[in-house]
Amino acid sequence: MNLDEALDTFIIEARELLQAMEDALLGAGREGPDNDAVNAIFRAAHTIKGSAGLFGLDGIVAFTHVLESVLDRARGGDLAFDSDLISLLLACGDHLRILVDRVSSGDAGTDEAERQLGAELVAKLGRYMGATAVTHPAVRPEAASAPKEAAERPWHISVRFGPNVLRNGMDPLSFLNYLQTIGRIMRVEILTDGMPDVATMDPESCYLGFELALVTKAERAQIESVFEFVRDDCELRVLSPESTPADYADLIRALPEDDLRLGEILVRCGTLTQDVLAHALGTQAMEPIGHARTIGEILVQEGAVDQGAVDAGLERQRQTRDRKGQESQTVRVDAQKLDLLIDLVGELVIAGSAVGVIGQKHKMAALTEAVSTLSRLVEGVRDRALQLRMVQIGATFNRFKRVVHDVSQELGKDIELVISGEETELDKTVVEQIADPLTHLVRNAIDHGIESADARQAAGKPVRGTLRLNAFHDSGSIVIEVSDDGGGLRRDRILAKAVERGLVNPGATLSDSEVYGLIFEPGFSTAAAVTNLSGRGVGMDVVKRNVTALRGTIEIDSKEGQGSRFSVRLPLTLAIIDGFLVRLGNATFVVPLDIVDECVELPPENAVGGAGRDYVNLRGQVLPFVRLREVFSADGEPAKRQNIVVVKHANRRLGLVVDELLGEAQTVIKPLGRLFQGLSGISGSTILGDGRVALIVDVPALAQGVEVRESGALSTGRRADMATAA
Amino acid sequence: MGKTIVIVDDSASLRQVVSIALKGAGYDVVEAVDGKDALTKLDGRKVHLIISDVNMPNMDGITMVKEVKKNPNYKFTPIIMLTTEAEESKKREGQEAGAKAWVVKPFKPDQMLAAVGKLVLP
Repeated sequence: MNLDEALDTFIIEARELLQAMEDALLGAGREGPDNDAVNAIFRAAHTIKGSAGLFGLDGIVAFTHVLESVLDRARGGDLAFDSDLISLLLACGDHLRILVDRVSSGDAGTDEAERQLGAELVAKLGRYMGATAVTHPAVRPEAASAPKEAAERPWHISVRFGPNVLRNGMDPLSFLNYLQTIGRIMRVEILTDGMPDVATMDPESCYLGFELALVTKAERAQIESVFEFVRDDCELRVLSPESTPADYADLIRALPEDDLRLGEILVRCGTLTQDVLAHALGTQAMEPIGHARTIGEILVQEGAVDQGAVDAGLERQRQTRDRKGQESQTVRVDAQKLDLLIDLVGELVIAGSAVGVIGQKHKMAALTEAVSTLSRLVEGVRDRALQLRMVQIGATFNRFKRVVHDVSQELGKDIELVISGEETELDKTVVEQIADPLTHLVRNAIDHGIESADARQAAGKPVRGTLRLNAFHDSGSIVIEVSDDGGGLRRDRILAKAVERGLVNPGATLSDSEVYGLIFEPGFSTAAAVTNLSGRGVGMDVVKRNVTALRGTIEIDSKEGQGSRFSVRLPLTLAIIDGFLVRLGNATFVVPLDIVDECVELPPENAVGGAGRDYVNLRGQVLPFVRLREVFSADGEPAKRQNIVVVKHANRRLGLVVDELLGEAQTVIKPLGRLFQGLSGISGSTILGDGRVALIVDVPALAQGVEVRESGALSTGRRADMATAA
Repeated sequence: MGKTIVIVDDSASLRQVVSIALKGAGYDVVEAVDGKDALTKLDGRKVHLIISDVNMPNMDGITMVKEVKKNPNYKFTPIIMLTTEAEESKKREGQEAGAKAWVVKPFKPDQMLAAVGKLVLP
């Protein structure tokens, strides 16, 4: 931080203030300076002290501190401004001026006479302090000193914010954010028990409590200082890593929610407890059936928790999971049974929202509240049920070892398969249906992507080619990547081929992704266009169709000579999603909530469509948008104030203009009948709480439409093919 | 765009140093020379934090806080008061007016950044 310039400001300011102080002192009449003058004098000392502290000018701070204390007394009327005091203050001003001059000349040292003068003045000032000793001056030790070189240790923080924190400008979240700067928050449990009825809830009040597991090198004082500004307004308990189980028991008893939450807090926050509990469970599993001790007994026997706390906590647990199966860890279930369960959960979601609609219609607070509890539970059931269907992709990936082996043998290439992200989970149905397109992509990469050993050697690459399969989660979708270090796609050849086929106008400028996208066109023979190798030309259009059927998309990244990467992006699940409801005319549409970024109002100047008017300035960035009214030919007049739902797809943002925002709802996806398979812009349908059908917007398709519109380069034939949105 | 902080103090050098420190940490800073000036600068723009001295000419910090709290736009904006050790009573007065956070003068830039971070991270 370069403070030179600021230091100049300080010197000028300090001289001005000292001048003002001198003027006020000299201007004082026989009765002493008036109120304004006293304030001016005080402020001069006060301001110089405050600023000097910022620059670390401790000598000035120390001196002005004493001066300020005396002036404060004088200001409060405890001291008379007699001529003695005035001349002393004038002398102090002179001394300060010398100190400031020293700063100005960059001279760090002080000569002896000066120091002595300073000490004399302080002594004289001290006499005016009377009984009140001068408090120790200068900069206090830094409250938030840098953490010592210590090991990271686990702490537990329990905090209940008072109702007034929001009104006081304190956002509970900001304190949690700040905690992240001194350590890592491993778990957060939010306690909403303090929340009153919907009817009596005050939206400006805070009702939240948090249980936090924090791993940090910081010490207690530093952790507590994070909450310094809300100390009066919250109940804070910090349990150190040395806390005994009894401390935890005390904590649980002291908490307002209290009660039988022991197990929950212990397990979920996992500070002391996760280990102990797991350990205890381990012991339990080894015991013969029938002699199983309860977790509580084990915890107590092993000295982990004291008896009282366990009794309270385990009372409920005992009732619910009395006979937890100890025979086996997994249960094999017929996949069909799971599907049936998911279907039923889907129906439950619909039925639940139907009740919600009734509650809203009749404005019954009690019912609304009951429904919101119910829907939270249903949401939980939904998530758990969907979880049952999740399988790791590893098994599918491993199948490719054989494929790679066989195909590379056949072609006489040496190829290594590298698999990562195999623990990534996705819906079983998706896994089944993605296997085929993946096989196509893998074969294609081996066949056309990776060059022959000779060609590789000539290009200075390792003879052995590498094929990578990777999977990861990314905002509500799963991405599966197939990449190779082969020759990459030949942009010019693809383009030439496309022009030859009449897919692209000659001379058109296309982005890379548009060019690569062409290989998915039906009948676009890859064999001749992409590489010189002839082989089995795998129809990439089939791959594309399969992926699209799963509501997924494919992106291609390629560098000529270095390899290419096909990223298949799929929704996590096919059955039930969180949806965002919007209205268009009389119809309701659903946008998947995962991809909704924000909503803004459509500026009036964009209300009327036309060429080049389908963009808005969203905080300095261009946001292209699509008028869903036009896409879906909605009936009726557009709403007076239309809204833009900003969605994010594959790192691009896109606006969807709708008539009205209706809010979020759980959405059970029902596939469209065969008759509507070819419908673009729509990926499925759902049934709303009031029994009506709503269509689910296919954002990837719309995004693609916009891309086409933006480039405006593709021929009309292709345009008509994809013109869902443009 | 960073979060906006308004720094209210009659000392130009203090504003300058705090401003340099805050901007360095990634905040946007608006400077005001006293309470009155601060109120005119709170013109509806989004402000994430106000840092104000207590003792200022024209309008002191406490009066300013009371005014700010009346403005619906800034009702929930956190306010840090700059107090001195000698001003315990002022600190309490400020807290009653709605400025719950404080930093004691004199302070080092790092101390200011730590206090600010607890309320608003850049």
